[in-house]
Amino acid sequence: MRLLLVSLLCTILLASRAAIAQNIDMSTLPSRDTVQLTIYNSEDLTLVRETRHVTVKNGVTQLQFSWANTLIDASSVTIRLADRRLELVDTRYPHDRPQTLYWSIRSSYDGDATVEISYFTSGISWSADYVGVVNAAETTMAFDGFVTITNNSGEDYEGANVRMVVGTINLVEQIRQLAERGIVAKDVAEQAAGAKHMRDMPEAARMELGRSILSAGSGGVMADASGMVKESLSEYFIFTVPGEETVKNGWSKRMRLFSQEGQQKDGGTVPFRTEYRYRPQEYGDQLVRLFLIRNDEASKLGESPLPDGAVRLFRQTGDGLSVLAFVSTKYVPIGQEFEFNLGRDPQVILERLVMEQSRDDFWFQSNNPQKLVSPTKGERIDPSYAVSGWNDRAKRVERVRNYRGAAITVAWRFGLDGDLLFRSSLNPTLFDFRTPEFSTTVNAGETKDLGYEVVAKQGSNAKQQHVTLEAAQ
Amino acid sequence: MLRLNRIAPRSLARALFTPALLAATLLPLAFTAESLAGVKLIALPERERVEIRLEQFGVTLVEEERTVPLAAGTNDVVFAWANTAIDKGTIQFRSLTTPDQIKVLSVSYPPNESALTWQISAPTAGPAKVRISYVIVGIDKSYEYRAETSKDEKTLTLWQYVQLHNKTPETFGESGMSFGFGDRLERPIGRNETRKILAARFDEVKVRKTYTADLAAFGMLDPAKQQLKIPMHYVLENDTEHGLGKFPLDNGKVRIFQADDKGNVAFLGEDWGPFAAKDDEWRLYVGVAKDVVVKRIIERKNRKQTAGSLSDYDVIVKYEIENFKDEPVTVDIIETMPNLRGEIIGNGNLLPQWEIGAEGSMREFDKAKSNVDRVIFHVQAPARGADQKAIKKTETLHVVFRNEW
Repeated sequence: MRLLLVSLLCTILLASRAAIAQNIDMSTLPSRDTVQLTIYNSEDLTLVRETRHVTVKNGVTQLQFSWANTLIDASSVTIRLADRRLELVDTRYPHDRPQTLYWSIRSSYDGDATVEISYFTSGISWSADYVGVVNAAETTMAFDGFVTITNNSGEDYEGANVRMVVGTINLVEQIRQLAERGIVAKDVAEQAAGAKHMRDMPEAARMELGRSILSAGSGGVMADASGMVKESLSEYFIFTVPGEETVKNGWSKRMRLFSQEGQQKDGGTVPFRTEYRYRPQEYGDQLVRLFLIRNDEASKLGESPLPDGAVRLFRQTGDGLSVLAFVSTKYVPIGQEFEFNLGRDPQVILERLVMEQSRDDFWFQSNNPQKLVSPTKGERIDPSYAVSGWNDRAKRVERVRNYRGAAITVAWRFGLDGDLLFRSSLNPTLFDFRTPEFSTTVNAGETKDLGYEVVAKQGSNAKQQHVTLEAAQ
Repeated sequence: MLRLNRIAPRSLARALFTPALLAATLLPLAFTAESLAGVKLIALPERERVEIRLEQFGVTLVEEERTVPLAAGTNDVVFAWANTAIDKGTIQFRSLTTPDQIKVLSVSYPPNESALTWQISAPTAGPAKVRISYVIVGIDKSYEYRAETSKDEKTLTLWQYVQLHNKTPETFGESGMSFGFGDRLERPIGRNETRKILAARFDEVKVRKTYTADLAAFGMLDPAKQQLKIPMHYVLENDTEHGLGKFPLDNGKVRIFQADDKGNVAFLGEDWGPFAAKDDEWRLYVGVAKDVVVKRIIERKNRKQTAGSLSDYDVIVKYEIENFKDEPVTVDIIETMPNLRGEIIGNGNLLPQWEIGAEGSMREFDKAKSNVDRVIFHVQAPARGADQKAIKKTETLHVVFRNEW
């Protein structure tokens, strides 16, 4: 069923102002001439701009604008009068007629006028998603981007110029809440709740739902949005779909955001590098495999920032594809390197071993006089003295087994708490005051041990809370 | 609804006056039979002028003028306000006609009624213009602003709208409105309606964009990578030099748009604009600048025992700044010292005693905008290079916390 719930009633009222309070007679119902949707992905917000032709009379014309059963924010509805002979006197919101307002427009002529009406609506969203297919050697990738628009606003938008904004705007009040301050029909509220549910859904579930929508909704036909215009806008980026699109209520539409010509054929042309990382703070307590790509021209990208979205990664095999990972990516500015975390690689094994541990450098608390004494200083230790400080020594090994057919780079970055000495020949550096980092190359089929010693000063021996690096002999 | 009734001198038949607009609801009040005995309806004095004053926050004063025919001697004038919340202690009656001769002798309040009766003495018979003032509940105001920036974001046009919310069942008709600041406006005010009126427009208002790296205020964008959230603000100065400064700007929501040269308009963000007196700054948080990447790392944390249990803490905070924009930007780097102390030493009762050390690259802070708790540095970040890669700029702040235990 076609919805057109937003309406503009134009009424010529040259009578007394008292008549304004009465029911206004409808004289015309002008339809939209043009409509533009600017959809934001960081918030449930779409800016709608539409133009309509109305007839005005010399004097004051009352325009009624109503939006029953939609998710429009009443406070955002504005009218712009391009003709200088027209003047907006004021806007009136009767409290007993929700989702309705009246504009008083003073005109110095009789005739037609074009008015531009804009407002915020909730319930329309867009999201990006990507498909990457890497070649068998895992050196290049075919990388395609898509956008999907979903309309649950309660209103059809036909022949719309569609724009999508990437970036995080500041909103002090949610548009949906503002819209609901009026009377919203139950079914529309439920639709909006559905949109929110979609937003709040875990990534995996959303992707699954997305796949089912795509397979069921679009019939496999991809909307052709090649030539999408990309331009910056203050702190954001804006994608404009060429031509006009019809975005019906309750429907989703998926379009191509970018694609490299012919790259699907041979596993693509986007170069990337692979790195294995052990960084518990970022990836959890596991060694993960990462594909690292830079969003620049050298990587056949760099036309625009990449919006955050789901990524489906496949690997090209002899006659088909195998799944590498379904992950998500955050916003990537032009020029920035980004990563796909493929998780654990069963062909690259990290074992974190403690080979030796011991204690030394003991200090004791003497009772009379009360002071710290150490046997290493030649001081006498009475049996009644309690241990107050010592050092824990641990010799550790990071063992990597590479069962892959090519050399790999492995990097470590892990934080250590306490007053610690990190002694090694691995040429480590400190990422911060408590986090050593180092890396190595492990050849194909090689098992490599990287040893180091950690001395943890305990009790009264601990004077600091940081890590000190020391080269091993 | 409000009614004004005049009851004729006691020597004559008593009379009741009601406004024309309320004639249909004549006598809805439960006046006692005695008080209305022998009442004769002889006139319907309408409001001739209404002024609604909303200068004080939360207090709305209505002043209305009516012409009441008075007889020589003592007149009883009844004022009633059924279904309308009026503070009866604030109701005042003043005669504008020979005010030194037409006087209020007394005011009587009938029990359990929203009404009062003035005893008015008039030296001669004739019409008298009177002004009645009262504080009413249910009428208030709010402000909202729309700003449209130029393409280069150096200037903007600011529209200030005032919204008068009349939540009472009373229709005031054409009314003057004073809001404390700006021009007096005149519009009809109907019952139970909000009226939004353009109050002021400012063109070519100078605006300044700022990028702020402030962990304490805005937190992290990506904690795992120690990447700070970088808000972008528009800063306006409420003075004539910057295109404003005519009057204080009252608090209200500010929605900011940008138009391009093709006639398209996009929404950039919104914020609550606080009250800004003349010469004050209006700082509006518009959105997050994701193309300016700042990572904050505690690079050094050394404790140095100075005496007994007293220690100093030697700290270096490192900032890695990457600007992925095509133009250079200035980033305001802010360290909140109590928060930094909490990160390094833990929370305690001691006030932080700190000083900027010599080993950091950032040593000169903005003294005009800094204080003992919060230091601000301005750092230039160059535009990204021709190869599209950002130039990583590293800045360090050396702080020494003294006398901790």
